[in-house]
Amino acid sequence: MTETALTRPILTEAVKLALIARFTALADDEMILSHRVAEWTGHAPLLEEDIALANIAQDELGHATLWLGLRAALDGSNADALAYHRDAAEFRNVPLTELPKGDWAVTMVRQYLFDAWEVLWLDAARQSSYVPLAEAATQALREEKFHLQHTALWVERLALGTPESTRRTQDALTQLWPYALGLGEPLPTEADAVAAGLLPDVADVQTRWQRLVRGHLEGVGLSFPTLSPLPYNRQQHTEHLVPLLADFQRVAREFPESRVW
Amino acid sequence: MSELPRWEVFKQDGPGKVHQAVGSVHAGDGQHALFTARSVFARRPAAVSLWVARADQIYALTKQELDAGKGLPQGGSGSFHIFGKKTNRRSMVLGDHLGTLDAGSPQDALDAARLQFGDELLVWWIVPDSALVRSVDSAETVESWFAPAKDKTYKQQSSYGVVGQHASAHKKAARGGDHD
Repeated sequence: MTETALTRPILTEAVKLALIARFTALADDEMILSHRVAEWTGHAPLLEEDIALANIAQDELGHATLWLGLRAALDGSNADALAYHRDAAEFRNVPLTELPKGDWAVTMVRQYLFDAWEVLWLDAARQSSYVPLAEAATQALREEKFHLQHTALWVERLALGTPESTRRTQDALTQLWPYALGLGEPLPTEADAVAAGLLPDVADVQTRWQRLVRGHLEGVGLSFPTLSPLPYNRQQHTEHLVPLLADFQRVAREFPESRVW
Repeated sequence: MSELPRWEVFKQDGPGKVHQAVGSVHAGDGQHALFTARSVFARRPAAVSLWVARADQIYALTKQELDAGKGLPQGGSGSFHIFGKKTNRRSMVLGDHLGTLDAGSPQDALDAARLQFGDELLVWWIVPDSALVRSVDSAETVESWFAPAKDKTYKQQSSYGVVGQHASAHKKAARGGDHD
């Protein structure tokens, strides 16, 4: 889609940096979670869910490519260089996405909480005055809505299933909820871009998200833990990110000159 | 979870086309079966609607069984969907939706179907309407379940250049080096 000089918003340097930071955070969330989900390939409890999870992982990776493309349009960065040649300290994903895949309940509760957040953030981002973001959000939202329906279905069935599945699902929520709240923390640089209508206000998204997931999960008998603050955020990662990246980046770093895969 | 029941999956590829039996999934319930069916059978190419039915609620008969005099239960009236396999030539499709009949029993439905749709079919499936679980037909569901597949590039295995290509092809491509 071509933009004319009249429709293209004039980006100040600060706003441009805010967009770059948000696109990087989005891409890193998708990339890291995609890798965790892909770890189930060949190991899921059901062949059909193995395939479904591989689909979700591919969709998330596709969305990461979308966000890195938006970033590249602003700063000329290279997606492969960002994905494969940054170290853990340079990644800006929320620690929720890097936690080990755990059992089926952990995987499904995390995916549900993440999908619900993403659906609501994307829904708000469709209204962005930055046209490339509005278009990308519209495109990614379609697949995320399907992911959310699928993971919501699983979380309900696990929560209401057997005593063991109920216990595991509650344990998963208790473990993950403090990390999930990291999704709703605004990026330090984005206030101006939010005020200018370029980025969604994460405080609004956070309110809608809490209403949605609390209503749904409490409705199937789960309870939310009382919170103790975490020492982790998008700058301070858990010990799990380094080994994940070692796996994720290994081939690209071993063969940096490769051009044909 | 291998004890989960098997569900047969019926996929409609476009408006105006019939649902076709494309395979089966294991799932705990009908809604779950629809979600797994979407991931397994409709990620690509495109589809517009999915139906599932528990395999053990489908009355199935082959031509050989019919010729040998095997029949279906006489009780249980209702509406029945008739699926038939016409040929062995299209291996990806196990049967087409031929129509829907009201009948006094599965056997009555089969008898009526043989009159209406011909007697040369290789396999008959009689599916009670009450056994079918359908994907939602709303625009929003079609948009999030099925539309994304239309934008995806479907590549055959061979196009990835890993299987079935001589190594020299990769070296040549690498030397050509026009990838920036």
